[in-house]
Amino acid sequence: MTFSIIARCPDTGRLGLGVTTFSIAAGGRCEGIRFGAGVCKTQAYVKRDNDLIALELLEQGMAPAGVMAALKADDPDHDWRQIAIIDREGRTCAHTGPGCRPWAGHHEGDGFVAFGNVLAGQEVLDGIVAGFLADPGAALEFRLLAALEGGRDAGGQVGNDGHLTERSAAIFVASEPDHFDIDVRVDLHDDAVTELRRVLEEFKIYETFYRDRGHRPDLAMSQVEFVASLAKKAVA
Amino acid sequence: MTYTILGRCAKTGRLGIGIATYSVTVGRYAHSTRSNAGVTVSQANANENNNAIALRLLAQGLGAQAVLDHLKANDAWHSYRQIGVIDRDGAVAAYTGANVRGWAGEVTGENYVSTGNGLRGQHVAEAIAEGFLAEPEADLEHRLLMALEYGRDAGGQGNATAHRTERSAALQVSSRHIHPDIDLRVDLHDKAVDELRRVWTVYKQYEGYYADRGRNPRGAVGQEAFMASMKGA
Repeated sequence: MTFSIIARCPDTGRLGLGVTTFSIAAGGRCEGIRFGAGVCKTQAYVKRDNDLIALELLEQGMAPAGVMAALKADDPDHDWRQIAIIDREGRTCAHTGPGCRPWAGHHEGDGFVAFGNVLAGQEVLDGIVAGFLADPGAALEFRLLAALEGGRDAGGQVGNDGHLTERSAAIFVASEPDHFDIDVRVDLHDDAVTELRRVLEEFKIYETFYRDRGHRPDLAMSQVEFVASLAKKAVA
Repeated sequence: MTYTILGRCAKTGRLGIGIATYSVTVGRYAHSTRSNAGVTVSQANANENNNAIALRLLAQGLGAQAVLDHLKANDAWHSYRQIGVIDRDGAVAAYTGANVRGWAGEVTGENYVSTGNGLRGQHVAEAIAEGFLAEPEADLEHRLLMALEYGRDAGGQGNATAHRTERSAALQVSSRHIHPDIDLRVDLHDKAVDELRRVWTVYKQYEGYYADRGRNPRGAVGQEAFMASMKGA
């Protein structure tokens, strides 16, 4: 029970991953995104080593279909995994094993893959795709968030006892090798996608301040001064 | 303003970080551990590339002090940074640049670094170390959380007259896998250390289940069935 989107921004080459699920702290199990390599996300019954193995292969230039074949060859339980891969060129490959709990499926688009399991139905996948495509000019992190919101609003996850809320969610975007541009998480919440929007919007207020003080700390104001300047701006 | 504990479990070799701060989403700076390599942090006007560089050097076998020396040599603005490193053997190195704001410093010992800036005083850094050492037989993640809680309870961040709350916090521990064992975050909250304890407490109930269903999907029960079994227990 999870729905996710991985994507490459065609304008900037930035790579991104958005995930939400009933499970706790899903963002803590997303090692598979690296600028210059690609994105791999394994879900359903997760083989934790998959995503990092895939990144090593993607970094060496193997195409997503070849990476998927390698993951399959290394895993007797491949049928229980749901895996999506995108490389630095935007090429994709996806797999929803027959052992994934229904409803499960994926949609490969141009430079993105939407995928999920234990969903209400096909309409959730359609909602993720529609959300991602709604505003192609937006920053990748907001396109990923719109995709998660689209999936949630189309019914999200449904298990044996009915609807399952999103308890955790995360968005990562990478445009350089050594750290993420965007790295926001909600690990345990009643309405994690809504909370993720709150966190992302708050982070965006600070994004430039945090980046600039790292690059030129000699010119940086303190965070207390920065917060005071925000309050002043709000009054003006 | 931030306070952090880096720790290594002497019995198991597990490596971890606990971090709390006034800034939002501090977990961005807590991709800090790698099994059989080490643990590191760069904070106070953080150089966001430092953690990845340090982990590569640690993985190559450089010791904590050598890694710290490299990070400083690679950074024209290191006097504005605060850095901590523990290597896989438990040797530690820590540095607080002269231009870091507020009360800033560290307390170190074998297998741990307590480091912070914009704190209410030296006593906060000492309390963090005390929390880490309070239950040496406990799991590393519990010891890291205890360290953050001791730091919070000693006054945390601020100055002589004002307190600043923890708005974000994170916990990461690695042992033998290439991915972390524990990776938990609170990105935006009024009391992030309290909330991190809550997340950890709930996560711990699921930890074994999440690992087992990935390793043995053929026999796994659904999460709803697992939760029903928890209630029945």
